Amino acid sequence: MSRWLCRALAGIAALGLSGAFAAPTDGPAAPKSRSGPHWAFVAPARPPVPPGARHPIDAFLRRRLAQEALSPSPMADAVTRIRRVTLDLTGLPPTPAEVDAFVADARPDAWERLVERLLASPHHGERWARWWLDGARYADSNGYSIDGPRSVWPYRDWVVRALNADLPFDAFTRWQVAGDRIAAADPGLGTDPLVASGFNRNTQINHEGGIDPEQFRIESAIDRVNTTAAVWLGVTMGCAQCHDHKFDPFTQRDYFGLFAYFNSTDNDGHGASDYAATGPSVPLPSPEELPAMEAWQRQFARLRTESASATGAEATRLKAELAAHRKKKPPVAETLVMREATNARPTVIFVKGDFTRPGAPVTAATPESLPGRRVAADRPDRRQLADWLVSPANPLTARVLVNRVWQVYFGRGLVETENDFGTMGAPPSHPDLLDWLAVDFREHAWSLRHLHRVIVTSAAYQAAATADAGTLARDPRNRWFGRQTRLRLEAEQVRDNALAISGLLDRRIGGPPVFPPQPEGLGAFTQDRREWRASTGGDRVRRALYTQVQRATLHPAMAVFDAPDTFTTCTRRLRSDTPLQALMLLNDPAFHEIAVAFAARLARTEGTDRYRIALGCRRAFGRGPDAHESARLLELLAAERSAGSGEHGAWLAVARVLLNLDVTITRE
Amino acid sequence: MNLSPRDPATLTRRHFFGRCGMGLGSVALASLLDDRLRAEDAGAGAGIRPGHHRAKAKSVIFLFMAGGPSQLELFDWKPRLAALHGQPIPDSFLAGKRFAFMDSSFKNRTMLLGSKRTFARHGQSGTWISDLLPHTAGIADEIAVVRSCRTNLFNHAPAKLFMNTGSGQFGRPSMGSWLTYGLGSESRDLPGFVVLQSGPRGPRGGAVNWGSGFLPTSYQGVTLRGKGDPILDLSSPPGIDATRQRRVLDAIRDLNLKRSVETGDPEILTRIASYEMAYRMQSSAPELMELGRESDATLRLYGCDREQPGFARNCILARRLVERGTRFVQLYHTNWDSHGGTGETLETDFPARCREVDQACAALVKDLRSRGLLDSTLVVWGGEFGRTPMGEPREKTGRNHHIDAFSMWFAGGGVRGGQTIGETDELGFNVVADTAHVHDLHATMLHLLGLDHLRLTFRFQGRDYRLTDVEGEVLGKLIA
Repeated sequence: MSRWLCRALAGIAALGLSGAFAAPTDGPAAPKSRSGPHWAFVAPARPPVPPGARHPIDAFLRRRLAQEALSPSPMADAVTRIRRVTLDLTGLPPTPAEVDAFVADARPDAWERLVERLLASPHHGERWARWWLDGARYADSNGYSIDGPRSVWPYRDWVVRALNADLPFDAFTRWQVAGDRIAAADPGLGTDPLVASGFNRNTQINHEGGIDPEQFRIESAIDRVNTTAAVWLGVTMGCAQCHDHKFDPFTQRDYFGLFAYFNSTDNDGHGASDYAATGPSVPLPSPEELPAMEAWQRQFARLRTESASATGAEATRLKAELAAHRKKKPPVAETLVMREATNARPTVIFVKGDFTRPGAPVTAATPESLPGRRVAADRPDRRQLADWLVSPANPLTARVLVNRVWQVYFGRGLVETENDFGTMGAPPSHPDLLDWLAVDFREHAWSLRHLHRVIVTSAAYQAAATADAGTLARDPRNRWFGRQTRLRLEAEQVRDNALAISGLLDRRIGGPPVFPPQPEGLGAFTQDRREWRASTGGDRVRRALYTQVQRATLHPAMAVFDAPDTFTTCTRRLRSDTPLQALMLLNDPAFHEIAVAFAARLARTEGTDRYRIALGCRRAFGRGPDAHESARLLELLAAERSAGSGEHGAWLAVARVLLNLDVTITRE
Repeated sequence: MNLSPRDPATLTRRHFFGRCGMGLGSVALASLLDDRLRAEDAGAGAGIRPGHHRAKAKSVIFLFMAGGPSQLELFDWKPRLAALHGQPIPDSFLAGKRFAFMDSSFKNRTMLLGSKRTFARHGQSGTWISDLLPHTAGIADEIAVVRSCRTNLFNHAPAKLFMNTGSGQFGRPSMGSWLTYGLGSESRDLPGFVVLQSGPRGPRGGAVNWGSGFLPTSYQGVTLRGKGDPILDLSSPPGIDATRQRRVLDAIRDLNLKRSVETGDPEILTRIASYEMAYRMQSSAPELMELGRESDATLRLYGCDREQPGFARNCILARRLVERGTRFVQLYHTNWDSHGGTGETLETDFPARCREVDQACAALVKDLRSRGLLDSTLVVWGGEFGRTPMGEPREKTGRNHHIDAFSMWFAGGGVRGGQTIGETDELGFNVVADTAHVHDLHATMLHLLGLDHLRLTFRFQGRDYRLTDVEGEVLGKLIA
């Protein structure tokens, strides 16, 4: 403990500030009334906005705060706000020039202008695609024990494009649930809906020897039901796989009614001895690749027709030719898609969820206890399910979605159990605000961009993350959202932020997965040793969104900062804090490369040490250092110089400190 | 018990300012923060937590024989099976059963396979052990052999997952994570849950076997690597010596502390503790891996070459980890899968696996005993499932995966050694007495560590999850 620190602390104490902190969840929810239907299963109506604030969100929040005799924290300073909103909307930090421009912008609508600029950034789609891909359990490998590679990245890129184009969430939903059927019915839409159907192909594929493929085909369909229920409905439908839901009004029949929608697709490749067998996919040739691809397809079709009717030696010859032709397929991008099998499979209930114990037959239908129920008249069609998910009668989809967006901005949802809107979940802290946001979202043509705009323009979003001592004592968990919350950056942002700070970031958007360097030997603990051939050039320093997602061995820089495991859907990220994170940021060769680049940048900047340290701080966490911080870093610089570390070595120490600070990897 | 990852009620900001405002000197301030940091000590566990009842064991060493060793060649001696060798298995055994490789292995009914090994009773307890494990036979009176183990899943990856997490589904916490979540870690310098690996490849399923599932990643197993840095990114970058690293860390700590006081966010104190532990790990982990201080006698006991990575070296490391307070050490040794094909025959490959582990397993138990650590360390030996009484004729002889009966052994940590628990039928196909399902083994392990498997829960997706799901009974006979 240095004398420096005590001086610094004394200075802070004099200011008498207080701060907010994240805290664990409450105990069990209060007992709920049994008198009427559960709130979440009744469609929301737009409640009147209370008086007292310009912005509806603030009006709702302040009414509740007033009931609790609490007052909201004041607005955060301009630098904190621009760093916060830039990280939240694009996943990247603002540059010092952007910070200066905003601080100097005295126009009354400076904030709104900033928000519009960020929403229009192509990086906005990247940041929020990552959010959506958590729910989609997106990965670039097949999972289970073999975990071979797959090509579904065009689906990931479609999500980025769809969000950048603000594709309305109802279409966004329909295409992902039933895009294969929609594309077939309306060829004018092109391949995008088909690519979007890859949402449901992000299930694992089991290539292990000795398995029963039927068992895993069913596992995949079960995962599709559970994921749909978690992502759109926010309910724990999985409980009803084996028995009627213990707490919510979902029966096992309801479960298999949903299962029926997913029960007749082609096999994904489970049990195939060829690890490259990954089920239905669609080639996506670029305009330049198109002629070659079409020629190949024509020849393929000709050979197949001929070999179907050929006999004897002719048949053998054609078979060989067909095999040879298969290998000549032009190397164009492909992506996994959903495809209905020729013949529909009848669906039955599995007794206790066990597929070896078939029970009564079931018709495809949405859950009986939820409004606007649809029942399949004929062969189950996922378009029917998709239509119901985004129908005005559906009480859950819009609420669940706005809640998960809110959760990103405030660290906690209005419904804290974001994946359980059922009777065992937490009740909403602000039911009226939740419903207002849900209806407003739907009535603004399901525009996610509108939803983002509404939230980040509220005073609540822009508030300081600190509060006075009395407020802290009475609302330690920030249950009433009177202030903002400090949030450690998500795994991808930790890396992207460091790359951006150092100036190394390659901002190209889209394309096949890349392989940034990782320590050797990570595959040694897995069944199939896989070489990680590190990318070269700019692909080493792309955004983490594009890093190969290898399910069994996630890139350590992702895994260590709580990236989702991708085996099942993830609707909320954990935020852990471990020594392995410290080792990663301090010592990992990739992060050290970033520190070296950052140091070089500071070392070659013209100006005094004090100026260069200020610049380093501004790049790392937006604001310049205060006198104490500046003094501490100057002290380090001097110590390194006198220890003979050399000019670059001295700045390397400063760069390493800045990149490792809590404030650098935290959105304040 | 539903523990939160950290207790928020320790240092509030007001409290801190109250103390600071009273004009504490830097020494007192340092001590205050040091106490807090000690309480926050990160790594798996964030300090020690009391269990539900008095614990018999403090640590677990789980010797995981990946691939599923054959109990019929090691512990479950079946003279009747030998007598019926070459005959078809009666239909009554197969009705309603499912096996791996159903299509290829069961097209033609496979015949019963008698074991060719020589069995004898060992120790005062008279425990049946075959000639493949002479060293284990030497500790017969320390171990409890459980011949009535059962599991649910018959393929390697899901069965391993089941043994580790109590579920074949990905995404559940492993037993080491549950233990460190429930009890914390006793080590300030090393992770609370460590995984070591030997054999030609990693266990199937990989990192999910020691994953923390829906628990925070701080409870996840940390793999110690045989080559290079024992822990990922443990070494400082090239050209950064300990002094320079410390100078950087001091500045990080000071600036983080300042921010923590400004914001009152206790997360920052946890981060400071993480950095301090990371720094300590930078010296304690290499010290752990350095066997120079181990005597020649100890190395001979284990059959270990100082520099050679492998199972024997991992057993010594396991003891060293337990000595240093690590809660759960898991050793994987791979390639026990004995189908009869090349590299997996009962004739040559299986005995080779036995030779690779036998001496070191016995040495570990003896070494823990002589150092007074066995009473507080539960040692577990076993794989994800057993093998069928029917042979599997491939190039040579093997057996298929079998989930209805297999053997494991337990020693130390409150286990009553020198006994054999459970019985199988005359062919070794089904358990007929004292069933020890994987859920029961988990319940028993938690019990020995002072935790009630019914109360060690974590709420996730609207449900309170347990290691034992909705099953599990403590195996009273196993406990001393």
